[in-house]
Amino acid sequence: MKPIWGKTCLALVVSAAMGVGVSAQAADDCPLPGNLRVVIGSTSTGGDTYQVSSMVVDQLADKLDINAKVDAVGVMPGFQALQRSRHGNTIMIFHDGAYLGNLYGVNGYPNIFDQYVVGPTIAINPGNAYLVPKGSPYESMSDVIEAAGNGKQIRVAIQPGSVSEIGFSALKNAVRLKYPGKESNIVAVNTGSQADKNQLLFDGAVDMINGSVQANEQYTQLPADDQKAMRFVWLTAREDTIQQTNESGMGDTTREQLLGYTTPNVSVPMDDSQDFTFDKEFFFLYNKDMDPAAIDCIDNALSDIYDQGEIQEQLKKAFFVPDFKPSKEASSYLKEKNDQNQTIINDLEG
Amino acid sequence: MESHWLSMFDVTIDFDQSHLFFPRIVTTILVGLLLVIVVTRFRMIAPAIKRAGRVLVGSEGAFDHKRFFGTLALTTAYFYLMGVLSDVFPNTGYSFLIMSVIFVFLLSLLYVDHLTRRLFVILVLNALIAPALAWYVLAELFRITLP
Amino acid sequence: MDILSHLTPMFFGLIAAGTLIGIIFGAIPGMTATMAVAVCLPLTYAFGLENGIALLLGLYVGGISGGMVPAVLINIPGTPSSITTTFDGYPMAKRGEGERALKIGIVASVFGGLFSAAVLFFFAPVLADFAIKFSYVEKFLIILLALTVIASLCSNMLMGIFSGVLGVWLSLIGTYSITEGGNGEPRLMFDFMQYYLVDGFSLLPVLIGLFGLTTVLLDAEKGFKDDAVQGKISLKGGAKFRFNVFKGQLLNLVRSSGIGTLIGILPGVGGSAASVLAYSQEKNFSRDSSQMGKGAPQGIVSSESSNNALTGGALVPLLSLGIPGDSTTAILIGAFTLQGIQVGPLFIGNNLDTWYLMMIALVAANVLMFGIMYFAIRHIAKVIEVPKFILYPLIIMMCVVGAYAINYGIMFDVWTLLIFGVFGWVAHKVGLETVPLIIGFILGKSAEVYFVKSIESYGNLTIFFTKSPIAAFLWVLIAVSVAFAIYLRVRNRRRPEEIES
Repeated sequence: MKPIWGKTCLALVVSAAMGVGVSAQAADDCPLPGNLRVVIGSTSTGGDTYQVSSMVVDQLADKLDINAKVDAVGVMPGFQALQRSRHGNTIMIFHDGAYLGNLYGVNGYPNIFDQYVVGPTIAINPGNAYLVPKGSPYESMSDVIEAAGNGKQIRVAIQPGSVSEIGFSALKNAVRLKYPGKESNIVAVNTGSQADKNQLLFDGAVDMINGSVQANEQYTQLPADDQKAMRFVWLTAREDTIQQTNESGMGDTTREQLLGYTTPNVSVPMDDSQDFTFDKEFFFLYNKDMDPAAIDCIDNALSDIYDQGEIQEQLKKAFFVPDFKPSKEASSYLKEKNDQNQTIINDLEG
Repeated sequence: MESHWLSMFDVTIDFDQSHLFFPRIVTTILVGLLLVIVVTRFRMIAPAIKRAGRVLVGSEGAFDHKRFFGTLALTTAYFYLMGVLSDVFPNTGYSFLIMSVIFVFLLSLLYVDHLTRRLFVILVLNALIAPALAWYVLAELFRITLP
Repeated sequence: MDILSHLTPMFFGLIAAGTLIGIIFGAIPGMTATMAVAVCLPLTYAFGLENGIALLLGLYVGGISGGMVPAVLINIPGTPSSITTTFDGYPMAKRGEGERALKIGIVASVFGGLFSAAVLFFFAPVLADFAIKFSYVEKFLIILLALTVIASLCSNMLMGIFSGVLGVWLSLIGTYSITEGGNGEPRLMFDFMQYYLVDGFSLLPVLIGLFGLTTVLLDAEKGFKDDAVQGKISLKGGAKFRFNVFKGQLLNLVRSSGIGTLIGILPGVGGSAASVLAYSQEKNFSRDSSQMGKGAPQGIVSSESSNNALTGGALVPLLSLGIPGDSTTAILIGAFTLQGIQVGPLFIGNNLDTWYLMMIALVAANVLMFGIMYFAIRHIAKVIEVPKFILYPLIIMMCVVGAYAINYGIMFDVWTLLIFGVFGWVAHKVGLETVPLIIGFILGKSAEVYFVKSIESYGNLTIFFTKSPIAAFLWVLIAVSVAFAIYLRVRNRRRPEEIES
């Protein structure tokens, strides 16, 4: 036991010592601190935000020869830490929930485009999904929209105010487009964790849940007579995005099958001309006063990392889709995405 | 008939106000219990407050003012300065290290009864080694974020 | 064959290393099993799945077990689930039986751990199907049941219940979090507090503030004169540990382990409730509970066997539903996803080798925990002889680390420590009881979510009685639990020597 522990220790000591040793030198063309803190908008170290962040940040730290650590502090503490850190000692990684919270008017969510600098996007989690019980009468999203139009109430379990709700809003919007006034038949059942959403489905308290390919795929493989059996009806990701996942897909569901739940095979209209799609994207956020040179530096380092291609393998293995856009591009892209979703949310409220 | 009777127990919660539903119930129970306590122990309250006041001022009872308030003051200063200093040395844990050395030493000094030269050396060594060890193992080896 | 190739010295070495580090984390006030697992999670990248899991399971088992050490020796629970260990452990330590108390705890722990491992191995899928019968309503009732134990744990019924309700009230301060399905609106505070209290007070800083810092303040107030008067607590004197102390404890062991496992299986109920429930059930149902709270081995047995039984229980929903049973397994799930392994209802069937290896690791971790602790305990117990002027400053320092690190670096959590340290001192003076308070605090948030969501889903209060046979059964348990608490109190009141201080 001792020698192994010793080795582990040694490896740690060496890496720690190296980190401390070189921390000062990185400053040449790159005004980043030797110890970078990366806060994320999630408190879970088992969740997708932590996974993506730790993969990317590890590579980034290697590339820049600095120490970097991902801290799962959660949304509000994350924003607060970012606000306080004017010298770029702390940066943040989060997903679309960062601006969706503001669009949904959740208490305390800032307008990230005003108050922070939106940095590069790094990856997409293509797994955002909607599921029904295996024995459900709804075979597709069109069935759901039709049923709602015909006065049937459909209860959907979601976590309010974030990525989990946006697909629900789009569905509601689609009903409104086709059957104006009937959108109130799509009812949100607000809940928390995936466990709670699943439980509501098992109880028969809801007709549909928001879930993910990663967390729910195995439930779709259960025999129909199992109380826990589910079926995918919709993946919100774009077809392009799903195309980029590994061919084997997730678990026993191949990429080909996953594409069957994706637009255009599933249609949730956003307006007359196009269907609604939504990629859950992860991106960096910086303090407003962050040195532009430091931002460029991270952009360049990430660009090198994505050119090398190792990160892609790593991300894909964990069912993420690599999606690097440098700061400028990412910022305007996300602003556009923000505005598009704002329209949907406002239309529903108005 | 029966369903009519059951509907007495119908409750609807407006989601926008749902954050107040449970807290209101709990607050009501809490205030209720407080009233019961005040009523049943009414006679004990006034003398108790008087006695507490006298103890705090120091005219009665075995209350070690120096150590009690010293602990409070040192701890408050420790936490406050640690926060301030961590902006000077961000993300390194140095703030924790420096402040802990000072704090551990001062608090030990406050608590110790008969200070001898040998004891003084022990306190100094303890204040230097223990925080350094904690800092090294936790911040450097385990990469725990420290102030 | 494949399995054997994984059973390398490295595999067992990592379990041992994990268990040892876990015990150390658990034994330091302020550090917890959850933290140990979180800290070592990144290491599992390097080790690969099987070895990584071996390390983490060792940490988990070690961390939960290590919590008994400070609980017994210095009356500060090392982890939330060892609160009840202080009730009988510390009185024993004061009698000079610290080593005996710890050894009783270790044996009970290993029993609980192996019991739940066996339950996990043989019944995981069946139990998962049982667990999903618990909807919001049943989970609320479980929490209500756990709250009723306050009535049998407090020394003054009125003050105890008030403290419990106050604990619930304190836990509700903050926003009604959207991650739990709330609307994200703040309550029970003023606007200026919102910046710090968005997420409310965290459990760990509250716990170590109430138990750790309060203890320091109470001793500081006395000017550490107690030691001089009574003589330092020593390790000598008092009874020695013998295995025959477990004679007649089998029912207690099985009941407590069963309660621990069950609470572990139910996601979201709050693992720390396990030992509290087990302890109070022992108090209510054992033939002679008159010595409990004054240093009775049976109290340590029920507390420690149940909190270690939590480990196997919490792995049931993780491995058969893909849902973590407590905060530590929530981090374990990360180890699987980082390695690209799906956890869900098919996990065991699809990964039989991993499953067997996990079981081997879990059993090995328990055995190693027993080995390490049983023989090291004599040295660990010496902590009690360290003078307070050395020990206390270090305890405060480690509490700071724990409070700051539990949410990955939030300074307000350190202030929470101080706030609740002072509050605990005041509470002590005015006769509030800290244990009911902390139980209320632990359970308050889940109680709210399950209560409000039950009503939101069903819209009628009668659902709490009519939802299912399980709900009806839970009401019977609640009624029995309350009735026993009152009965015991009335009986004790008749005996004049039972007057509590």
